[in-house]
Amino acid sequence: MEKTLKKEKFNSLITGLKDQGYKTIAPKKDSNLVMLDEVQSADEIHLDHVQTNNSIKEFFLPKTEKILSYRIEKNKVSMEEPEGFAVKTVVFGSRPCDAASLPIMDKVFNWDCTDKFWVQRREATTIVTIACDKCDNYCFCTSVGLAPDSKEGSDVLLTKVSDDEYLVETVTEKGEKLVESLGTVFTPADNPGTETLNRQVATVENKFEIEKVKPWLDENFVHKVWAEFSTKCIGCGACTFVCPTCHCFDIVDECTMSKGDRVKNWDGCQFKMFTLHTSGHNPRSTQDQRWRQRIMHKFKYYVEKFDSILCVGCGRCSRVCPADMNISEMLEIIATEESQPVNKE
Amino acid sequence: MSEENKFEPKIVAFLCNWCTYAGADLAGTGRKQYQANVRVIKLPCTGGIDPLFLIKAFERGADGILVSGCHPGDCHYNSGNYHARRRWNVFRPLLEFCGINPERIQFSWVSAAEGGKWVETINGVIDSIRALGPFEGYQKINTMGPMVSSESANQ
Amino acid sequence: MIEALRKKAEELLRSKTVDVIYGYGEGSTPERTRPVFITKPEDVNKLTWNKYCVYNLTTYLKRQEARKLGKPAIVVKGCDAKTIIVLIKESQIKREDVYILGVTCNGVGEPQATKCKACDIHTPRIYDELIGEKIENKEISFEERYAEIEEYEKLSEKDKWEFWQKQFAKCIKCYACSSICPLCFCDRCIVDKNQPQWIDPSAHPRGNLSWNVTRAYHLAGRCINCEECQRVCPADIPLNLLNKKLAKETEKNFKYRAGYNIDDELAMATYKEDDNQDFIK
Repeated sequence: MEKTLKKEKFNSLITGLKDQGYKTIAPKKDSNLVMLDEVQSADEIHLDHVQTNNSIKEFFLPKTEKILSYRIEKNKVSMEEPEGFAVKTVVFGSRPCDAASLPIMDKVFNWDCTDKFWVQRREATTIVTIACDKCDNYCFCTSVGLAPDSKEGSDVLLTKVSDDEYLVETVTEKGEKLVESLGTVFTPADNPGTETLNRQVATVENKFEIEKVKPWLDENFVHKVWAEFSTKCIGCGACTFVCPTCHCFDIVDECTMSKGDRVKNWDGCQFKMFTLHTSGHNPRSTQDQRWRQRIMHKFKYYVEKFDSILCVGCGRCSRVCPADMNISEMLEIIATEESQPVNKE
Repeated sequence: MSEENKFEPKIVAFLCNWCTYAGADLAGTGRKQYQANVRVIKLPCTGGIDPLFLIKAFERGADGILVSGCHPGDCHYNSGNYHARRRWNVFRPLLEFCGINPERIQFSWVSAAEGGKWVETINGVIDSIRALGPFEGYQKINTMGPMVSSESANQ
Repeated sequence: MIEALRKKAEELLRSKTVDVIYGYGEGSTPERTRPVFITKPEDVNKLTWNKYCVYNLTTYLKRQEARKLGKPAIVVKGCDAKTIIVLIKESQIKREDVYILGVTCNGVGEPQATKCKACDIHTPRIYDELIGEKIENKEISFEERYAEIEEYEKLSEKDKWEFWQKQFAKCIKCYACSSICPLCFCDRCIVDKNQPQWIDPSAHPRGNLSWNVTRAYHLAGRCINCEECQRVCPADIPLNLLNKKLAKETEKNFKYRAGYNIDDELAMATYKEDDNQDFIK
């Protein structure tokens, strides 16, 4: 039985979630930004945007997080591990690209060791995605095998069918349970059969042939295009921090003489310090090497290791780049560039 | 508030080795009494005080700070205190702009001979901070919260 | 103006006066430009000039990747040119290290950048070649120049604290603010020094306060108000308010404005015996 969600029911949706003890994350207007953030009422939800400025990852991998506390006593060290970090949550209104990033990252967080912070939060969270009804020049999900209405990673997918109505498709069991538990918030669709509904989905232009990217990367670790493209890079971490699939982190101790917290923070491969050795040697001493690393990791190394591209085409990195480095432009170059290794050292 | 719960401020004093520190010492040898709320950190010169020292003191729980050095013209290194004065002239308004009461960071010139002025100054600082109360704003951001998720710690 | 710029650029490259032009080129969208590095005379048509040329290209003087390309000619607006004066004063570059292609400017950005609203430097104060019709640099009063921060100065202590805590909470510690800043040129930033760790690298309220305050403070008497930190902040923190506050205090106390006069002594590297000390007991 097809169901729809009417905009007027948003209120009962949020209240319903609250009653069931869910924390609700949704897009919220914050001066010039639209941020995924906790909402208390439906009035706060903002849906008239292409993309939220922050990605969904911070609800699974926060920008900063205490992973243990310790205290040094006379002859021993006592430690305390965090508990209760996985809170029952619904992410409402994230984009399909954001949702698609989650199963991709599941692979690395369940790989050589299980990252309990990621895994438990994933279990506790239900993703209700809204398909994109608009896009901009920076979007390129269709070029990386996704679409503005992809279901990957979502538990429920909503697609706009009129100004005040969304078609509801449950994707997983978790999603089904959530929809069921909310009962009358959802209305049975007037017309049986989804084909009669006018699904409003954006058309995202296909910018490059992804099949050509990896073979080129396999051949061109050394190539002049890396430096040519990245001279303008200023070496900040904005691209990696807004990226829903960049997941590097650093661990630091914040401590006094006798006690401290061990903290996990986002880190990024575009920083000069990221690979600096204690000896002073830096294997990625120039920005073109760091830029190459970002592309290689996303489109070659991750593919080899986990059989997934580490990119969902959300375009955030290009929107936010202080120097207008555009990743899809780089990939277009790669997909069309002749394989011309230069100065192979 | 009952007597035992009365708020006693924690004050950190960054003192120049050549004058204020000696001045405080003189107060001690002269058996002059002053309030015990102050923790003194001795430094070679006020010119060597990075404003980060002051931020760090707040991070470690100070309710108020005193920075004190040689009178203008008396610097052991000729000009350290002049440079320091320039920095404070801009650093103090910056903190005030961020919502930190300028009373929480005070400055003075106290020479090695001014044991009396030291007592008067430090008592004044302690009294004014006691009146302001604990630096709750900073104390709140000082901790990452109890051992639960960062999300619920924020609430 | 674009033609004159391209012609001059071509001439400079052909005559080998410079090896590279740091200029503006077309960006991802019509509302954006991007930095371009032109090394061949035949590529000068990639240079452009329009109201979207907001970047301060002098930041590439600190980037080894750009410096590798050789002696640069840099396209600079009046505001950007001030950076070069500060860099020379701070011994980061020599005057002869750069060829300054000054452009006259009536404001950039759409909507117009805040920095342009009280601009008194439409024509650069330092250049080797001026492109565009000279525009008179009108005097702007002290009050008008710092009008932007007044409403924040007027807030109560509590409101100020809350306002900035809310702003700093958004910080993700990507360091775009310091990476873009042409005057943040330390090889190793204080935040990257960890023995001892003066500034917590974590993006929690404590680390965010000490980072943002320190970043601003390290630009006291140096910031030339190009507003790049604020433009690039992905978290939309109004960082330039802090810079402006410091510039105001520097001017008020020391009668100094960074980048205006190459003969002025750097405010924070000098002192006067009669500097203000009203606040010192």
